Amino acid sequence: MSVLHFLGTAWSFEPWAVIFALALIASYAALPGSRLNGKSLLFASGIFLMVLALVSPLDYLGRNYLFSAHMVQHILLLLVIPLMLLSGIPEKAAEKALALPIAGGVMKFLGNPIPAWLLGVGSMWVWHMPSLHDTVMKNENLYIAQQISFVLTGVIFWWPVFAPVKSGRLAPLAATLYLASACLGCTILGMLITFAGAGLYPAYANPADPAGILSYIRNDLCITPGVDQQIGGLTMWVPGCLIYLAASMVTIARWYASPEPDTVNIPAGEGSIAKAGSYVRD
Amino acid sequence: MSSRIPLVPENAVPLPSLKANNGLLSWVSSIDHKQIGIMYLIITLIYFLLGGLEALLIRVQLAHPGNDFLTPELYNQLFTMHGTTMIFFVVMPFLIGVGVYLLPLMIGARDMAFPRLNALSFWLFFFGGILLYYSFFTQSGAPDVGWFAYAPLSEKPFSLNKGPTYWALGLLASGIGSVASGLNNVVTILTMRTPGMTMRRIPLFVWMMLVTSLLLVFVIPIITAAFAMMLLDSILGATFFTPAHGGSAILWQHFFWGFGHPEVYILILPAFGIISEVIPVFSRKPIYGYEFVAASTVAIGLLSLGVWAHHMFAVGLGNAANAYFSLASMLIAIPTGVKVLNWVATMWGGRINFATPMLFGTAFIIEFVVGGLTGVAIASVPIDWVVTDSYFIVAHFHYAIFGGSVFAIFAGVYYWFPKFTGRMLSETLGKWHFWLTVIGFNMTFFIQHFLGVMGMPRRTYTYYDMPYWGSMNLISTIGAMILGLSVLIFVWNILVSLRHGRPAGDNPWNAWTLEWATTSPPAVENFELVPPVRGRRPLWDLAHPDMPDEPGAKTV
Repeated sequence: MSVLHFLGTAWSFEPWAVIFALALIASYAALPGSRLNGKSLLFASGIFLMVLALVSPLDYLGRNYLFSAHMVQHILLLLVIPLMLLSGIPEKAAEKALALPIAGGVMKFLGNPIPAWLLGVGSMWVWHMPSLHDTVMKNENLYIAQQISFVLTGVIFWWPVFAPVKSGRLAPLAATLYLASACLGCTILGMLITFAGAGLYPAYANPADPAGILSYIRNDLCITPGVDQQIGGLTMWVPGCLIYLAASMVTIARWYASPEPDTVNIPAGEGSIAKAGSYVRD
Repeated sequence: MSSRIPLVPENAVPLPSLKANNGLLSWVSSIDHKQIGIMYLIITLIYFLLGGLEALLIRVQLAHPGNDFLTPELYNQLFTMHGTTMIFFVVMPFLIGVGVYLLPLMIGARDMAFPRLNALSFWLFFFGGILLYYSFFTQSGAPDVGWFAYAPLSEKPFSLNKGPTYWALGLLASGIGSVASGLNNVVTILTMRTPGMTMRRIPLFVWMMLVTSLLLVFVIPIITAAFAMMLLDSILGATFFTPAHGGSAILWQHFFWGFGHPEVYILILPAFGIISEVIPVFSRKPIYGYEFVAASTVAIGLLSLGVWAHHMFAVGLGNAANAYFSLASMLIAIPTGVKVLNWVATMWGGRINFATPMLFGTAFIIEFVVGGLTGVAIASVPIDWVVTDSYFIVAHFHYAIFGGSVFAIFAGVYYWFPKFTGRMLSETLGKWHFWLTVIGFNMTFFIQHFLGVMGMPRRTYTYYDMPYWGSMNLISTIGAMILGLSVLIFVWNILVSLRHGRPAGDNPWNAWTLEWATTSPPAVENFELVPPVRGRRPLWDLAHPDMPDEPGAKTV
C-alpha cells in the first residue's frame, strides 16, 4: 500500500468521537449568554483539531503501528486541545455557569491547584503504565475512556492557570510554579520512556500490520521499535515541556501587562523602617 | 566598619560576651549578611588566584610541543583542580556572596530571612574548599579525573588514587551550603521586601537571583545524590556505575549534566543581573524592557533544566534523542538574545559613561555573545561530533564563563566596591586592568577555537609538533600571562584602594536602587529609614518627585 493511499484511507469515522465532539459543542451552546465571536472560533478550532486527532491516520498509526504517533495524539489531546477549548469559553458565560450549584461546586473542587495538578499529571503517568497501556490497546471501550479522559483532565489541569473567570486563576508566580512542577512531572516520565530499554510497550514491537505499511516504516523511515519509543518519550519530554513553559511565559506576560496596582499604598513622603519579616503581598 | 559589628539579636539575659568588637572572632561568629558576603568575596578571591595559578601552570606546560615542565600526573591534577576551583569555589560562591550582601539591601530588608543558615552556608562552602585542597597534601595527590569526573572512569579499577573521594566529599559539603543559600535567597526575596517593593518592581539583579536560587534548590540535589553514589562505590564497594555488576556506565553522565547544564545558568544568570544593574546606571536610562529581561530569565531557567544531553551527543543516545536535544538547546538562544538586545537598546541613545564598571559591562556583552554563538554552533550535532573534547569546547566555555560571568563579576566589583568599603577603586588601575584583561583574554582563548578545529584535544598533557600548533599555543600562553598580570593589577587596586581610595559617599554613581540609599559601608541595621518605593527606581523617584517612573505614583 502506498503512503498516499494509506493517508487517504486510514480515516476512521468513529461514532463516539463525533458524539463526544457534539456533546462538547452542545454544552458550549448551552452556556448561558454564549454567542458567536472570536472566542467561539477558538473553541471551534479546538473541537476541529480534536476530531482530527481522533479520526485521522494519526489515530490509526497510534493504535496499530507507532508509539510516537500515539504520543503526538496524547500531547494534542491532553495539552493543546483542552487549552484551546478552555480559552474559547467567554468570561461572562462561564461566570453564569459557575453560579449554578452543581457546576460551581464541581469546579470549585476540581479547579483547586492540587486536584487539578494531580489529574493533569496523573493522567499522563497512569495511562502510560506499560501494562495498562497494553490493555487499552486491546480494549475498545477502555480506549474511548482514555481519549475522553485526556481531554477532560486536560481542561481541569489548565483551569487554575487559564480559567475563564479570573477568580479561578492562581497568582502569577504560583501559576508559574504550578506549571514548572507539572513540567518536571512530564519531564521525568518522558525521560523514563526515552532511556528505558526498547520494548517498554510490547504492542508496538510486532504490529499486526493491518494496512501493510510496516515495511515502509521499518525499512524506508528506519523507525525501529527502539527509535519509535525514543521519539515518543522525547515528544512528551521536549515539546510537552515547551508547552508548559510557553504557558508560564503567557502568565508572566499577563501579569506585567495587567494594569491593577499590586502594591500597598504608602503615604506621601514617608519611608519605613526595615525589619525582618515585613511582608508584602502581591 | 568593624566598630559596628552585629552579633546575635538582643536577648533578655545577655549572652556570654563574644562581643570582641573587632578582630577575627567577630567575623567567624558573624551572622550579618554583609560580613558573610564579604567573607565570600575574600575567600573566592583567594581561590581565584589559586585557580589562576593552576591555569598558568597548564599554559606553561602547553607553551611548546613536547614540553616536560609538568609530569602528566600533576598536569591531570592541575586541570581538574582548575576547573573545579573556578566553577565551584570562585564563580558560584562569588555570585552567591554578592547576592547575600546585596539582596537585603536591594529589597530594603534588615538581613536575610535566615541569618544563621546564611552563616552555615558560608562555612560549608569554606570547609568544602579546604577538604578539596587538602587532597594536594595526601600521598596520592589531588583529584585527576577532570572537573566532571566521569564514573566509572573516576572509580576503581580505572582510577586508583583517593583524589576523587576528596573531590566528591568537598563538593558534597559545599553543595549542601549552596542549597541552603538558594532556599534562604528565595524566602528572603519573597517575604522580606519593604512595603511598595513588589515583585514587579524588584531590581533585575534580584529577579535573576530568584531564578538562580530556585535552580540551586532544584539541581544541586541531583549532583549531591550522584556524589553519594560515587562515595558508596569507592568506600563501600557499591557498583552504581559498573555495567558488569548491574550498574550503568552513562548514569553518571546523566546525573552530572542534569546538574551541570543548569549550573551553567547558575553561573551566568546572576551575571546577567549585575549587567542589568550596571548598564542602565552608566547609560543614564532605565533598563529597556524590564519585563522582557525578567520573563526571559524565567524562560532560561526552565529551558536549562531539559537540555543537558547536548553534553552527551558523542555518547550514542541515538539520532532521535540528539535531534530533540539539539533543537531544545538552540531555543535557549531566544531568551538570551532578548536580553542582549535589551542591554544594547538600553545603551542606545544614552549618555554613556565609560567608567570601569561600564567598560567591563560593555565588554561582557561582546565576549558573551561570542561564547553564545559558538554555543549555538555546537548545539548542532554534526558540528559537536567534530569539535567535542577539542580546544574549541575549551574556547567556547571560557568565552561563556570568563568572558561572561567573570567580566560581569569585575563589573560588579568596580560598581559595588564603594558600597562594600566606602572607598572607590582606582579608575586608572581599573582601566589598566580592563584593557589587559580584554587583550589577554582574547589572546588566550580566541585562538583556541582554531586549535580545536585543527584537532587539538583538550586535557592533553602535551602534543606533537603539528603545523602551527606550537606557535598558536605559544600565543595562547602569552595571552594567559597578560591575563595573569591583569589579575595582579586588580588585586593591587583592591589593596591600595582599601587604604587610600577616594571616599565614595552614599551614592557615587548616582544610581537608583535601594542599596545606594544607605551609607557606604552600610550600618549594621542597613537602613535608618527605607525610602518609599513607588517604582522600579526608588532613588530616581525620590530625586524627581515631579516625574516619577510610574505616573500613578505621583504624590503631592
